[in-house]
Amino acid sequence: MATHHSVDPSHAAQALRTLDGDRTRLAVAARPPAALMVALGALAAWWVGAAAGTSPGAGYTPPTSSWLAVAAAVGVAYAVRTRTGVRFRRAGARATITAAALVAVCLVLYSVSLALVSAGATWAVALTSLAAFAAVTWLSTVAYRAAADHVARA
Amino acid sequence: MSRAPEPRFDEIIHAPVRLRICGLLRRVDQLEFGLVRQTLDVSAPTLSKHLRTLTEAGYVRLTKSPDATRADARLLTWIHLTPCGTAALDAHLAALREIVGTEH
Repeated sequence: MATHHSVDPSHAAQALRTLDGDRTRLAVAARPPAALMVALGALAAWWVGAAAGTSPGAGYTPPTSSWLAVAAAVGVAYAVRTRTGVRFRRAGARATITAAALVAVCLVLYSVSLALVSAGATWAVALTSLAAFAAVTWLSTVAYRAAADHVARA
Repeated sequence: MSRAPEPRFDEIIHAPVRLRICGLLRRVDQLEFGLVRQTLDVSAPTLSKHLRTLTEAGYVRLTKSPDATRADARLLTWIHLTPCGTAALDAHLAALREIVGTEH
């Protein structure tokens, strides 16, 4: 059996290099599933679009679709984990910041949608909804890639 | 601030496939069996055999969960490096770095 003293330094160095290579391969293998990222974008578009059915002002009540969207997003996140086969311990600063930006973008677009509805431009909510779809699909992909890259960087 | 691990060569972890399994698990919470097999490019029986050794040593824990994305009843096997396994791996990597003579 190998012992501490019988291991050749070049063999030990090779073992360490192999571990680095494995982490890089893992980051590549754990690609974000495009269909599920699009599903997250569609959920964001649906939520932002729901602003069109509200009455901004003193009598404003948030649409029930907000809770449904959150529940559906949790379901998609679970599906992402199952599909990729990775449960991250830490996503890293870049992924965390990107995820926070994703939430912020949704909130801003929802607020803009409410403002458009109160200004009588309900039709324009289609544009904010479209923007939410594009932004969330892109940002969720970027956040996932950042988390996978964090694994590769030892 | 965490202390650098004391170098300790571990015969169980040192087997190439087992070292690679633990190395992959070190940076994540859990990995699915199929992804580990694909990343390491080893057969399922080979991976199972090494996982059994690591599990018996208390270095790895396996859990099963249903795959909601599939129509059949196949369960997913998730692999998790235990705290004991993490400590053993860190000590083993420190020993390898000591042999190499660098802080890698």
